[in-house]
Amino acid sequence: MLHLSLVLGGDLVGRAGGRLGRVDDLVVRLDEPYPPLTGVLARVAGRDVFLDADAVAEIAHDRITLATDRIDLRPFERRAQEVLLRKDVLDHQLIDVDGARLRRANDIGLARVDGWWRVVGVDVGARGIVRRVVPRRYADRVAAGSLLDWAEVEPFTGHVPTVRLRTPHPRLARLHPAELADLVEAAGRAEAAEILSAVHGDPELEADLFEELETAHRREFVDEWSDGEIASVLSRMETDDAVDLLLDLGEDRRRDVLELLPETQRRRSEALLGYGAATAGGLMSPDFVCVYAQATVSEALARVRRSHAPAETLEMIFVMNTHRRVQGGIALADLVRADPQDVLADVAPIPRTVPLDAELDDIARVMTDYDLTIVGVVDDEQRLQGVVTVDDVLELLLRQ
Amino acid sequence: MTRRRVLSLLALLGPGLIAANAGNDAGGIATYSSVGARYGYDLLWMMVVITVSLIVVQEMAARMGIVTGKGLADLIRENYGVRWSLFATASVLVANLGICISEFVGIAAALGLAHVPVYVSVPVAAVAIWLLLVRGTYKIAERIFVGMTIPFFAYPVAAILAHPDWGAVAKATVAPHIQTSPAYVLLFVATAGTTITPFMQLYLQSAVVERGLGADDLNRERVEVVSGSIFANVVASFIIIATGATLFVHHRAVDTASQAAQALAPFAGRFAEALFAVGLLGASLLAAAVLPVTGAYVISETFGFEKGISRSPREAPVFVTVVTALVVVGAAVALIPHVPVFRLLVGVQVVNGALLPITLFFVWRLSRSREVMGRYRNGRIFDVVAALTVAATSALSLVLLVVTVRG
Repeated sequence: MLHLSLVLGGDLVGRAGGRLGRVDDLVVRLDEPYPPLTGVLARVAGRDVFLDADAVAEIAHDRITLATDRIDLRPFERRAQEVLLRKDVLDHQLIDVDGARLRRANDIGLARVDGWWRVVGVDVGARGIVRRVVPRRYADRVAAGSLLDWAEVEPFTGHVPTVRLRTPHPRLARLHPAELADLVEAAGRAEAAEILSAVHGDPELEADLFEELETAHRREFVDEWSDGEIASVLSRMETDDAVDLLLDLGEDRRRDVLELLPETQRRRSEALLGYGAATAGGLMSPDFVCVYAQATVSEALARVRRSHAPAETLEMIFVMNTHRRVQGGIALADLVRADPQDVLADVAPIPRTVPLDAELDDIARVMTDYDLTIVGVVDDEQRLQGVVTVDDVLELLLRQ
Repeated sequence: MTRRRVLSLLALLGPGLIAANAGNDAGGIATYSSVGARYGYDLLWMMVVITVSLIVVQEMAARMGIVTGKGLADLIRENYGVRWSLFATASVLVANLGICISEFVGIAAALGLAHVPVYVSVPVAAVAIWLLLVRGTYKIAERIFVGMTIPFFAYPVAAILAHPDWGAVAKATVAPHIQTSPAYVLLFVATAGTTITPFMQLYLQSAVVERGLGADDLNRERVEVVSGSIFANVVASFIIIATGATLFVHHRAVDTASQAAQALAPFAGRFAEALFAVGLLGASLLAAAVLPVTGAYVISETFGFEKGISRSPREAPVFVTVVTALVVVGAAVALIPHVPVFRLLVGVQVVNGALLPITLFFVWRLSRSREVMGRYRNGRIFDVVAALTVAATSALSLVLLVVTVRG
């Protein structure tokens, strides 16, 4: 395997063996799993020239041999999907998809695969740096360090005009939305925007990623989007997370975006927006299952099966009397274990609830004291208005 | 004001204020004291010029952090390659270690005035700083940094106690007084050099990134950079005024900050001496805390490690290692009896003097680059001012370098 750092700066040699100039950069095309070499940039007789890969016979450390003695003196023009290894990739950040983290390319590994020279890996270890700093005659004694397989890497190419928006970064889809959110937060501004635009084609993933992002980062990207784009992401998010994001928008913009939301979500969001953000009313999700006390366990389970509410809001099934006042709550696991013929009034104990204006600390205390992952929110009439789940509480507590 | 109000006010302050005031460290206070003791108010006009330069330089660093979301070492590596970023990293580390030692010496000197033995003051300060940086969250650390600038208010009070001739002070501030004697020029250069140091730009840019500031925050951060720079240099001016009103009038020369504090007592009272010592303690603590962080930022950026004082140690082992090493070595060297502090400071000054033109050149080149900064690159007039500032500051720094090396 060759190291890019040792190929760069080497001699450009003609077929007959005469030195023609100095190798400055290598061009590869990104549309294959291991990007093939498509050209060489060299300094020849005081001019920057581009040589097509067809003219290259052999590549070695310190030397690229041409198949010809004649070179076409033409300047470099990028073709689609092409990047320059030194200018665009070396020393830049890239995504280590397997490790779900950002790395910096200290050196790049090249090898002959399937009949032609290709990029096969990225050196992210200290040796890659050492090799580039020590005097050249010692450099090839520095063995390859921790090499990442190129198949596990996504380079950032947003700054390269001909590649922009054309590479869908297919490997990113393997990452969990929370991992993607961590990458967005750790990356530079342009790189973060690139990750977000890469997931733009997958609306579900985009919405999940947005739910995981910290407020400051959400706001930053939302500012550059149209109202329609925001509404489309919001409509795929859970209502309480969507409301968090709506609160980040300016008052005027919030109204415009609300108008563009689907009817049911708009009403829910508006209801939530009416309350203070850090109270039970603001935190709660309006998705829950509440059945009459007269229902049987099997009827309640049927309701759960039909429900589209997110799993965490179904950890407890609530029970109400005919005046819609909450009188019981039963954990989903207990419900599953109960005799299907039992009536809920007999199996569901009186649940812990909090009022709409309960503050974050009170909710957290109730959850801790009674070991709850979910708590019902009731109005003055003891009617269930929504549920607060532990993930929402933890998120806010961690931010404090 | 209620406690909550004060805290929310402090929350607005951050990297800009911290970076500018960390420049008023033990070495800075020693320099300002000797400026005042030797030349009275003659060099006050220069503080105005230095303030403008500081604002220009710090604004570029803050803007780059906000627009690119990357630290200065990151950008140098991406745009100029690994050798330059390694060079910058190595020199910053050497300079930071040297300055770090001098801060611990400053801490020992300040507490020495209160008869606290060195073997107590230095280890306690080192442990406290280490705990804050490694165990504290970023928010807490930043608030404490900001809080550490409060002792600087001691200098205006000390200056007032020294009963300066305010008319002469005002005149010296606006009317340039230029001498050509080598000693005058050297002090001029040293003052510029201690006010604008490379670690301040590196810290500011990385801290802005770590704080997660976005384009919305640009103007607020600019206000902070400007007010932080002005505050830091007004404090510096008061040090010159305090020493100028007393030591200069009585022809007492000083070389160190603690000497200045002691020398102040006969003319302005024990209270002025105590205030001077409090200011020195706060300044040394602030810089001793900011310097290791800067070193860790730069190393993490250059080598592409995870970084940040907002992460837990396990997530950022390199950060913890670098911070620990700088604090431990800095404190340990300060504890060695008869350590040649003065020669050490001279060496540090050489490294800083050599590094400043390079750092400033990169700051200027990067912040005017369309490729890096897009529409937030330097405006045309600002760019000219910035270029002149960088050229002038670099020239001064090189003069200092030559003079120091030739003795």
